[in-house]
Amino acid sequence: MSDERNASNVTTNTNPDTTGAQGMASEPVISVRDLTVSFASEAGTVRAVRGMNFDLYPGKTLGIVGESGSGKSVTSMAIMGLLDKNASVKGSITYHGEELLSKSDLEMSEIRGKGIAMVFQDPLSALTPVFSIGDQIKEALVTHNPKMTEQQIHDRSIELMNLVGIPDPEDRLKSFPHEFSGGMRQRVMIAMAIANDPDVIIADEPTTALDVTIQAQVLEVLRKAQRETGAAVIFITHDLGVIAGVADDIVVMYAGRPVEKADVDSIFDHPAMPYTMGLLGAVPRSDRERNSRLVPIPGSPMNLVNMPKGCPFAPRCPLATDICHTTEPAMEPVPGRPGQFVACHRTQEIVDKGLTFHDVYTVAEAAKSKFAGIPRDERKMVLDVKHMRKTFPLTAGGFLRRKIGEVKAVDDVTLDVREGETVALVGESGSGKSTTLMEIMEFKQPQDGEIEMFGTKLEHKIPREKRRELRSAVQYVFQDPMSSLDPRLPIYDILAEPMKVQHYSKEQIRERIGELMRLVELNPDQVDRFPTQFSGGQRQRIAIARALSVNPKLVLLDEPVSALDVSIQAGVINLLEDLQNKLGVAYLFVAHNLSVVRHISSRVAVMYLGRIVESGDTEDVFEHPLHPYTQALISAVPVPDPKAERTRQRIVLEGEVPSPTETFEGCPFMGRCPLMPKLSAEQQARCRGERPALRPYDTSRPSGHQVACHFA
Amino acid sequence: MFKYIIKRIVNYVIMLFVAVSMTYFLASAFMDPRSNYMSRNPHPPIESINRSLDLANINDQTPVVIRYFRWLKGILTQWNWGLSPDQSPVAPAIASRISASLQLVTLATVLSILFGVSIGVYTAIRQYKWQDRVLNTTATFFLVVPAAVMGLMVVLLAINFNNIVGSRAFYVTGLHSYQGSNPVLWVFDYLQHLILPTIVMTIPGMVGYHLTQRTYLLDTMNADYVRTARAKGLTLNAAIRRHALRTSLIPTAVDVAFSIAGVFTGAVITENVFAINGLGMYFTQTIANNDINGAVAVAAFGGVCTLTGALLADIFSAWLDPRIRLS
Amino acid sequence: MMNDNENMVSDAVAQDMELTDPQGSEPQSADAKNAQEASSNDDFHRTGRMQLYVRRFMRRPSAVVGLVVLILLILLAIFGSKFSQWSYDEPDFAALASPPSAQHWLGTTVGGSDMYAMIIRGLGRSLTIGIFSSFGTTIIAALVGTAVAFFEGWFEKVGMWLLDMLLVVPSFLLIALIVGMAAGGSDWLWLAIGLTAFGWVGYARTLRTLTLSLRDREYIRAAKFMGVPSFTIIVRHLVPNLGSVLVINTVLGVIGAVNSETSLSFLGLGIKAPDTSLGTLLNAGQSVVQTSPWVLVFPSVVLIVLTFSVQLIGDGLRDAIDPYSRSGGKAE
Repeated sequence: MSDERNASNVTTNTNPDTTGAQGMASEPVISVRDLTVSFASEAGTVRAVRGMNFDLYPGKTLGIVGESGSGKSVTSMAIMGLLDKNASVKGSITYHGEELLSKSDLEMSEIRGKGIAMVFQDPLSALTPVFSIGDQIKEALVTHNPKMTEQQIHDRSIELMNLVGIPDPEDRLKSFPHEFSGGMRQRVMIAMAIANDPDVIIADEPTTALDVTIQAQVLEVLRKAQRETGAAVIFITHDLGVIAGVADDIVVMYAGRPVEKADVDSIFDHPAMPYTMGLLGAVPRSDRERNSRLVPIPGSPMNLVNMPKGCPFAPRCPLATDICHTTEPAMEPVPGRPGQFVACHRTQEIVDKGLTFHDVYTVAEAAKSKFAGIPRDERKMVLDVKHMRKTFPLTAGGFLRRKIGEVKAVDDVTLDVREGETVALVGESGSGKSTTLMEIMEFKQPQDGEIEMFGTKLEHKIPREKRRELRSAVQYVFQDPMSSLDPRLPIYDILAEPMKVQHYSKEQIRERIGELMRLVELNPDQVDRFPTQFSGGQRQRIAIARALSVNPKLVLLDEPVSALDVSIQAGVINLLEDLQNKLGVAYLFVAHNLSVVRHISSRVAVMYLGRIVESGDTEDVFEHPLHPYTQALISAVPVPDPKAERTRQRIVLEGEVPSPTETFEGCPFMGRCPLMPKLSAEQQARCRGERPALRPYDTSRPSGHQVACHFA
Repeated sequence: MFKYIIKRIVNYVIMLFVAVSMTYFLASAFMDPRSNYMSRNPHPPIESINRSLDLANINDQTPVVIRYFRWLKGILTQWNWGLSPDQSPVAPAIASRISASLQLVTLATVLSILFGVSIGVYTAIRQYKWQDRVLNTTATFFLVVPAAVMGLMVVLLAINFNNIVGSRAFYVTGLHSYQGSNPVLWVFDYLQHLILPTIVMTIPGMVGYHLTQRTYLLDTMNADYVRTARAKGLTLNAAIRRHALRTSLIPTAVDVAFSIAGVFTGAVITENVFAINGLGMYFTQTIANNDINGAVAVAAFGGVCTLTGALLADIFSAWLDPRIRLS
Repeated sequence: MMNDNENMVSDAVAQDMELTDPQGSEPQSADAKNAQEASSNDDFHRTGRMQLYVRRFMRRPSAVVGLVVLILLILLAIFGSKFSQWSYDEPDFAALASPPSAQHWLGTTVGGSDMYAMIIRGLGRSLTIGIFSSFGTTIIAALVGTAVAFFEGWFEKVGMWLLDMLLVVPSFLLIALIVGMAAGGSDWLWLAIGLTAFGWVGYARTLRTLTLSLRDREYIRAAKFMGVPSFTIIVRHLVPNLGSVLVINTVLGVIGAVNSETSLSFLGLGIKAPDTSLGTLLNAGQSVVQTSPWVLVFPSVVLIVLTFSVQLIGDGLRDAIDPYSRSGGKAE
């Protein structure tokens, strides 16, 4: 798509009033005017979308960006006519000039799948489990072309499967969805979407549920699909990196309203709305050295029920004045910037003074680390894992469970964590990074290899007392604060639980809980509330407070910010940094988001199929990745910078992660390795026959950069 | 697949053996066949009581373990399930009653499934419309009416109906009373007997299937894949019919598999209300008569049916759901 | 992964709004001073969980009717005998099998017992047995079901095998055996005990399945990681989180118990004279269905009213507690 883009020609007209003035070459495929969607709820009417306007032109990609609850998905469902019956939809949506909102389900069904097709977020549940892939693709074809013969259907299905890159299409047509991986299922979804050459493809977070290397593949397939069909695309996402690479124009939504619209470069170069600025400033970047703290947007997203008057962003906006709290601003052109529209009372001032993110938002200085200046070698070791293995037996079902193989969840993990540092464990899903944490938390001698905590080796027989002591020194924070806090307990009891295990007295607990709430920047008066009464970011703060309650020396964090919205994420990351600096606690941080990892960690270990393939100082690994897998992983991460995205060379990995039940004699990465074709036959034989061990790359340097590849 | 089923069967045989043995010991502990004789006034001589009890191997003066092994040996070597206190053999008595139960329950089961599932689908698609509300309220009502009440009320209505019409349109006892040899009249007579118990048993079965099928379909109706089907261009109704309905029938099929086995065990209450000499009635008699061997044999037969149902359910779900593999 | 809730559109969104209330009332800024603002910023609309349940329950007329009827029935069972000069165990030999009259409001049985007194007595028995054994069943099933699911490995395997096996043994037989050996007068207690002792098995299996999904919830794992003892986890985290299921099933369990009691007594295997129950009355009525139908009709009506009112309450509760219920209002 990027080659088609012409940055000077703003093709998506974003303001209905000035349609003629822009001198468009073609008519829009879809025009949305004053779209309003509301739902009934117990607490009142949820106003999910208010005053959405945009035009979509043939062959172009419109990105709709927003956090959860911003109304971006509801907009797409309104276009498709797939909203629930209890939704009240007002305004106008036209498709080639035809009004869609007044159409019946039957009339809409003729457009859906033929004129407008859709790719959904979750490929796991979006395919019918009891029908074969072939039947489901066939249905997409036959619904709109009832006269197709079996042979034509078959040929077209194969053609579509080839187009989206599904190997062995002939066989795979007979397979069922559960026999496909997530990435492959998403390819099937795309194949069904483009089956009838639609004019419009709506992609609703199509890569959110996928790993980053698979995401790169699927985005490539989507681009190809768009080239083949010439369709216009509405791409909905919360990921600013993804949108920078795919969109021509962008609409930013907040609390159900579009708040800024422009071409992609304008949005990223000179955003005019404080919310857009904040979003861009709050994301860490994987392509740059970390030089400053992240700047969170204060507060949490708006409740869509009983919305107060005024600009919905006003309660969180540092520039908000009285008028912002009383009158909601309309979408207006930004003076001096053609094609850019913004809904903000203070646009004039922002443009005149050229305010940027750094002028608008401020952030407190980071606390100074207790361990600043002490070299890593001189710090004490808190966790030392050597050659740990964890396998699960693969059993045949039935009464007498017979072992028929094993899943090597963790194959060979060696890592160490020292006082006051953050070690990040990165890898795609199935790489065994979470299992590694779980194994450590068992406080048992591992199946194979050894674990040492604070100099105590974990053996089969550790005295009860000793184990309890270790437990208090090592705590855990889960990914999803929604599910890691018992919804039936008030915050006070949740925070007290680890302390009770450690036999703290009632008074101690009481006192400590007050401290903890202040430590994580929450109001101590709220301890009687239940977890559901807090927002996602606040819940994660509570989870962190619980982990810290017994003064641990090491905290294991499993994807602690990945369930949070971008604007909230930054605040939690900063909190984690501050706490580390103040308390000197070490983190073992598991994440798939390399941008976050680059920002927060001092050391990185990269996992693939249960093995560490590369480890070293964060800067070393990101600037000079040695292992071809690390290189591919880093290059697959989209960067929130359209110019960089256009010129970037991506290493797109072929294929998918093999099953952890497979046994490899040689290098497990061999099948996908981009380096392989460049090697000589002799070298290839070595990869095939000899498993590379984790070895220091350059013994002359003290950084401890290690890699498990024969030819790195 | 075949191996899996064999393994399952082996497991079930062990389970059945333990369950039946447990039942034997419990029945021997709680049932007192001696009281059948002692309550007569005057009671027969003790020696003759003991002789009768010994013949049936239910004498409480013999240690229960010895009685158990004798009983077990009889079954394993001669398929002899023992004698009732009146010295009649248990196994043939049960065999003869299975047919009556089968005649009674089969039709009701088939009708329950047909009507119940259809109404379930019909109401789920019309969720919260008046048809759904009316049918649902009716179903919940019939769901909670005790079987005995339902049976007796139907009998009461039928008797009143007969009185008003002035002829015996419905029979309220037994399954047959026609003595002639005209097959048409025989069938007609059979239906006159069958219709009332069939109604009594169809209604609770039907509302059960109705309510569960409705829930299953409502669960799948909101699934993401139904939305995908609509996005492909299917209308809401077509998407529900082709995608949600197919998936929602899997758990229903599993329920059906379970109920197939129930056909053989009969219906305790209905048989008692309509004086039908089926297995259910026999079961009540064995308990009332302190018939240890009889009660245990019925329990064993019921266990076999239940486990067969469970096995069928497994096979059904593997057959219908590609995600499940029996291996 | 970032999950965008919007996809679940309407209901889920609405529901989340309702219960989570992520209103900007709890500021999350970098400075802790904002924490103080929060307490003064408490004026947002909030609906407590209980309040919400009550409101939703009360919105269903059928549920309210069910509740009122059940309360009336309970009052009748407790105080009903005060209004009648006849007692259930004092037959009026002057009025055998007499139809309803001013003397005997609901008629008498063949043996001359006053039907009104008998029904009041029977209703009390049915209610007591129903409530007693429904609670007992729930408690046993909750503990066994969660324990079997919580302790993985051999405990779970053995537990499941035993539960499967117990399902093979007909509970009907076992209950009849237990009641059969009870001495006269205490058979209602034994019946309740029997219904409890053999009624929990199927229910425990259901709860186990539910617990399996809870077992892998992160708050359970979090508790394990903190070193919280297993029994504490079951009682503190698992059972309360099955709460809504337990409440609904305890209510609906009353129906099951009443029905079982009726069946057993009707077959002559439950409560026997001189004590009485609604099932026993049905048994008596069966033989005189043509001559004195009132002996059959009145207990039947009471039984139907009793079970149906409980069912209405159960349905109302399910709708009120179930987060996916659609009893919400309509969009403007």
